[in-house]
Amino acid sequence: MIKLYSLKQHKKDGETPKSGNQRKASAAHLRITKDLNELTLPKTCTTEFPDPDDLLNFKLTICPDEGSYKGGKFNFSFKVGVNYPHEPPKVKCETTVYHPNIDLDGNVCLNILREDWKPVLTINSVIYGLQYLFLEPNPEDPLNKEAADVLQNNKRLFDMNVQKAMRGGVIGNTYFEKCLK
Amino acid sequence: MAVPSPKSPEQSERSRKYDRQLRLWGDQGQQDLETAHVCLINATALGTEILKSLVLPGIGAFTIIDNEVITEEDIGSNFFLTADRIGEKRGSIASQLLCELNPDTRGHFIDECLLKLLDLNPGLFNTFNIVVTTSLHEKEIIDLSHKLWTYNIPLLVCQSYGFFGSMRLQLAEHTMIKTHPDNQNPDLRLDCPFQKLKAHFDTYDLEALDLTNHLHVPYLIILYKHLEKWRNDIGDVNVLPETYKQKQVIRENIKNSIRKHENGTLHHEENFEEAIRSVNFAYNRTSLSENIQLILKDEKLMNLTSNSQPFWIMARALKDFVDNEGCGRLPVRGTLPDMTADTFKYISLQQLYHEQAAKDAEAVYNRVQQLLQNVNLPDDTITEQDIKIFCKHASELCVIRGTRIADEYERKGNADNEISQSLEDPDSLIEHYIILRGIERFYSEYYTYPGEIDEQVEPDIPKLKLCISKLLSEWGCMSSTKEDYIHEYCRYGKSELHSVSSFIGGCVSHEIIKIITRQYKPVNNSFVFNAINCSTESFTL
Amino acid sequence: MCDNDHRRWNHLKKILERSSPFCHPDFEPGTGILEFLQNSCKLLVVGAGGLGCELLKDLAMMGFGDVHVIDMDTIDLSNLNRQFLFRRKDVNSSKAEVAAKFINERVPTCRVTPHHCKIQDKSEDFYRNFHFVVCGLDSVVARRWINGMLISLLSYDDNQQLDNSTVIPLIDGGTEGFKGNVRVIIPGITPCIDCTLDLFPPQVTYPLCTIASTPRLPEHCIEYVKLIQWPKENPFDSNIDTDDPVHISWIYEKSLERADEFGINGVNYRLVQGVIKNIIPAVASTNAVIAAACVTEAFKVATSCCPLLNNYAVFNNADGIYTYTYEAERKSDCITCSPRKAKYLDIDDTNMRLEKIIEILCEHQQYQMKNPALTIELDGKRKTLYMPNVPSIELKTRPNLKMTLEQLGIADGCKLLVADITNPRAFEIILKIKNNCVSME
Repeated sequence: MIKLYSLKQHKKDGETPKSGNQRKASAAHLRITKDLNELTLPKTCTTEFPDPDDLLNFKLTICPDEGSYKGGKFNFSFKVGVNYPHEPPKVKCETTVYHPNIDLDGNVCLNILREDWKPVLTINSVIYGLQYLFLEPNPEDPLNKEAADVLQNNKRLFDMNVQKAMRGGVIGNTYFEKCLK
Repeated sequence: MAVPSPKSPEQSERSRKYDRQLRLWGDQGQQDLETAHVCLINATALGTEILKSLVLPGIGAFTIIDNEVITEEDIGSNFFLTADRIGEKRGSIASQLLCELNPDTRGHFIDECLLKLLDLNPGLFNTFNIVVTTSLHEKEIIDLSHKLWTYNIPLLVCQSYGFFGSMRLQLAEHTMIKTHPDNQNPDLRLDCPFQKLKAHFDTYDLEALDLTNHLHVPYLIILYKHLEKWRNDIGDVNVLPETYKQKQVIRENIKNSIRKHENGTLHHEENFEEAIRSVNFAYNRTSLSENIQLILKDEKLMNLTSNSQPFWIMARALKDFVDNEGCGRLPVRGTLPDMTADTFKYISLQQLYHEQAAKDAEAVYNRVQQLLQNVNLPDDTITEQDIKIFCKHASELCVIRGTRIADEYERKGNADNEISQSLEDPDSLIEHYIILRGIERFYSEYYTYPGEIDEQVEPDIPKLKLCISKLLSEWGCMSSTKEDYIHEYCRYGKSELHSVSSFIGGCVSHEIIKIITRQYKPVNNSFVFNAINCSTESFTL
Repeated sequence: MCDNDHRRWNHLKKILERSSPFCHPDFEPGTGILEFLQNSCKLLVVGAGGLGCELLKDLAMMGFGDVHVIDMDTIDLSNLNRQFLFRRKDVNSSKAEVAAKFINERVPTCRVTPHHCKIQDKSEDFYRNFHFVVCGLDSVVARRWINGMLISLLSYDDNQQLDNSTVIPLIDGGTEGFKGNVRVIIPGITPCIDCTLDLFPPQVTYPLCTIASTPRLPEHCIEYVKLIQWPKENPFDSNIDTDDPVHISWIYEKSLERADEFGINGVNYRLVQGVIKNIIPAVASTNAVIAAACVTEAFKVATSCCPLLNNYAVFNNADGIYTYTYEAERKSDCITCSPRKAKYLDIDDTNMRLEKIIEILCEHQQYQMKNPALTIELDGKRKTLYMPNVPSIELKTRPNLKMTLEQLGIADGCKLLVADITNPRAFEIILKIKNNCVSME
């Protein structure tokens, strides 16, 4: 145990503290710097930092080179909070996409972004997870139920709808903006 | 944009003010609290700390009995007294400052000596829901204990002494319905599905389901189907898996029924994984716990009269239900834990449990009505809502029967089992109970507390030691207490540390709330706090 | 001290002026200790809520004379069932200010100084001022921030020995319903908040697809309205204000509609509020118990009158009264407090270019890095100096390579945050620059 009482007797008020004692970087900063410097992006993905000094907010673009979404271009925003990596980054899809696991407001249903997040996961894990959603859209646990139903019952129609949406067009009641590469 | 017309229930100021605690003990608990009247004897620092955490949540009324005047020392430990009131009545000022905390509470003050009140106006104590005391002397404790025992009013005797404190609860009988157990097994009835549940299970054919439906079958159904399959395999339609090995077989079976991709890898079927994880508890046999069996055998429910408490009338109806319609089981609780499933499959299952619970509660209700008639009580003595709550919580019912504090002081010759047993354990805090008793004895003999003045610390050590060994030998105990502790208590010289009183005060307040609301189980029946290492211990004396 | 004041403290004086077999070996009984509590010892209470009100009362009553309290919140009606320094008329006033005023009037021997602001608004120099800190917060993030701050104030001498005069103990309390915990943290010596992060219960989150397509619980319906319906319909052209009853009512009605649609029972106003505001139940009694245990430890820290809690205690009085104390252990690789030696890099002068620094890091015997990314904090703002592996940042930060430290604003004592594949974690290196202001000579 440390001797506070006797010790602090000597610590006089107004005593100048040691200089140069800069505040330590936050755990979130330490981790995100490490995460980013070790990104090994698949060749379909690029990142963009509007402000290079702000590593906590950035964009991701995915251009799938196979599967139903081949030829499309999809933008995501990443917001990394001060409690990272104890909380997952907040990710939103900024492109309106016809996809069973992404709704029209850009909410993404990816387990590691919510209930299955663990601090050992990295930005890289999230990017790979997102990329996988474009290769293997999952109709079983949908966010966009119409798209999921079509995928489940008629894969050809689904693929056609995806193409139509990416070229810019209306499916059901929704207009999808063009997002071809 | 158009704002929807406000259909939301307007929240009352009261429910907003008490929101954070209503989430714990509910509106009924709050109502019990708001109609309760608690009596505090001696507005010491500990006394006012106890009342503080009762006034804040909105206790109906308190009465302070105290005939002391405020001293300088009081100001140093009691937050609800002020220096400009030194020399005035302690109970009066404390009552005033406590009432400022909450306009909903009424505070009263009686400037009288306890023993005199007990002598002249003992009926007064019958008007309280509970009595709590601090800094009492031996004789006061004994007299009050006898009186309140005959009135069946709960009594809490508390003290705060240096870095230690204690509480002793005297309760003749206390019945509880909502005890809020921490980890309760769900009431699933897989071993004995009621008729509609069994019919529902039978509508499923897991293998015939398409993938989407297969992914969304509630795990309960998976478990039931695999129980049937396993019973078939071993040729016994009534057996339940009990051993690890048996359960492991079922786990393997469930795992093997997970659907596979074309390439042979398993689909991610969360519901099947949940089923595997639930094998351990979900196949438990539906039966009565030992505690419930004891309650249903209690003589209080065997001989009902018009004086019987509603609890015992309902318990009797419950017993009759168990012996008849229930086939040896309690009414269905009617709640279903959350599980991966689609909405329709989950809700229809949930509804079946719900309906059966309502049906069982109705059967109990009919029995209660009959019982009320038999003892000539009006049939609205117990409402349908009371029965619903009683049945829902039937597995957690609890009855405590306490002992009289005065017996601890007057019993001679035979050591209490708990005390002599606990004394064997070097880490037990029972020693502090004994020393605190020794200090009470010291006061009875010398009219002062050990170490109360600086010069007396050393000479009082052997005197206190003698008091304690006299006590121990009266109880027939061979052991003794550690010399170091006796010295430590003489150091305190009856000093009351605010933070120690505040700790015990918080504990005691909550015990009082438990008793008033009849929710959550109180300490049965003694409690010691050691602030040196922040430890506590409870004993049944 | 006048005579009244003298006798006022008789309870404490017996403890502080008499020796005992249980007191700490460093304890020297005498009148100086109370003097120290009353006049010299300066401490900070973080949070003036349920725990904070109790802490202030207990500290004042235990003889502490110079107490600061910091809290950014204002008083809400729902605080009054336990935050006993506040009255109906105080609703919407600053918690810190009302609490300080109350204590100062009730206990004249104690001077409480309020700070109505965020903990993040205060500098290191503010926190360095205190002998110790007592925390009564309901937020894990804020706890971690204070913890990180106190650890960053530690300094080590050239032999990597901790300078004990920079240690500011932290006593932390937390409650939830009838449960609570107390811990004593001696930064740099005993486990810190981040060593034992797994002790905090994980927040309940529901899968988004369940909320969207297979709701079963009333909570699923409420989360749907909060996460999906509100942003889509944006009914009041603003984010959800959890304190605005009109907003909560809207969510309540929409949740009810959705629950009806799916045949789900149990949506009610109280539940909606609970889910939206993430309400933790709270009662006066648990706060009283936990705050009291914290202040007992504070009293021991300040006086050495008996040994400290070592180092973690949990409390639960839902079923009887239960406490359990144990010694949590330091995490050897704790990201915040692990006893890593401070790392230094000697630099000749501020005319050196950034690319040279990187070269030194790669060639340095101790570091031998491959391709480090570098950031630094300047004027309270983080700046990316160079990041080789992220193309868009690399492009924008490439000009920095040719700039000198001086041009970049980097001076002696600055901490360089370095991430490199040669190390499993990013860490900081303190620059020791011999000739700090070459150009000024």
